[in-house]
Amino acid sequence: MAKIIGGVGTSHVPSIGVALDRGLRDSADWKPFFDGYEAGKQWMAEARPDIAVVIFNDHGNTFFLDKVPTFAVGVAESYQPIDEGWGKRAIPPFAGAVDFSWHFVDKLVEGHFDPMVCREIEVDHGLQVPMELFFGRPENWPVKIVPIWVNTIQYPIPTPQRCWDMGTVLRQAIESWPGDERVVILGTGGLSHQLQGSRAGFINQAADRAWLDGIAANPEPYRAMSREDYVEQFGSEGAELIMWLVMRAAMNRDVSLIHKHYHAPASMTGAGMIVVENAA
Amino acid sequence: MPDTRAIPDTPLFDREGSIRGYRINKMAMALGQPANRDAFRAGEEAYLDRFGLSAEEKRAVMARDWHDMVRLGGNLFFILKISAVDPTPITQIGAAQAGMTHDDFLSERLGKQRNG
Ligand SMILES: [Fe+2]
Repeated sequence: MAKIIGGVGTSHVPSIGVALDRGLRDSADWKPFFDGYEAGKQWMAEARPDIAVVIFNDHGNTFFLDKVPTFAVGVAESYQPIDEGWGKRAIPPFAGAVDFSWHFVDKLVEGHFDPMVCREIEVDHGLQVPMELFFGRPENWPVKIVPIWVNTIQYPIPTPQRCWDMGTVLRQAIESWPGDERVVILGTGGLSHQLQGSRAGFINQAADRAWLDGIAANPEPYRAMSREDYVEQFGSEGAELIMWLVMRAAMNRDVSLIHKHYHAPASMTGAGMIVVENAA
Repeated sequence: MPDTRAIPDTPLFDREGSIRGYRINKMAMALGQPANRDAFRAGEEAYLDRFGLSAEEKRAVMARDWHDMVRLGGNLFFILKISAVDPTPITQIGAAQAGMTHDDFLSERLGKQRNG
């Protein structure tokens, strides 16, 4: 069977990609943010994954409001980075883990999920930025990807419990896969931020710091929280943190928190990451 | 879904906003294509007319009234494509949402040092 070598939770703020494009990595605003990711990048290089499962949301780039899938899974050979209005970014396309993706889709439907299955589709910063944060800017990405899109834009968005349930199916899919691939799971989004309404600019550093520890040590309260609770604590756009639950549910109940980093604000967002491994 | 209106100052993009803002968001979404960005730059009003925007919606877009665009159902993620053409910094859009000056927003909401 394939092996889960670790779980990552990380922000996917678009301005992170812009900062890299413009050579601002070591600027006063950005250096502390990027420096904190070095340990995670190092961990990833040593962990040598073959497949990265990336759970993220589209931000009105790939999906319009004409069709809004609550969950979508990619089964494509290759995923191009999408033009978000600034022009196409100079990063390589992402090769898909096609066979495993189809297997995951089978397991999802057997497990009573009904994902949209995507054969030809582009990916926005929600996937691009986490890959850049953990793999840098290689000529070719060293892993194949399985993209999972979660609707966090138009209500109703899925419940935290539903994201958790998807993670348990993801784990079953990995454990029942006959290949010997090493799989890393990246749950992305957050941390606290709000872009709309008069509370725009809301950042909740205390809640963010509690999240980074709590999601590793004791995720139960976060699974049980309502969507409204997420919006209240983390802001309307920060509610996308529910996507980390897919990653967390795929891991053991007990995990070791290997790396943790927090920085606020990155652009208008509380930002950071964790790396966890299943406890022995 | 229940109860979302109870959170202060936080509009959620639900059925109502999605229906109300459909045209404005569709127009903004199309700016993901370079040819449409060129058309928008060449003549904003003609471009907006292609998507059937009302006079009120056109005014909000052409005046870069970020607060009104959202009131009319524009979702930030779509209308950010307008800001990419300009370009307008996202913090300035945030300030407009909050009803604050850009400087006040940066310092009071985001904890940035004030310049001068
Ligand atoms: Fe996001």
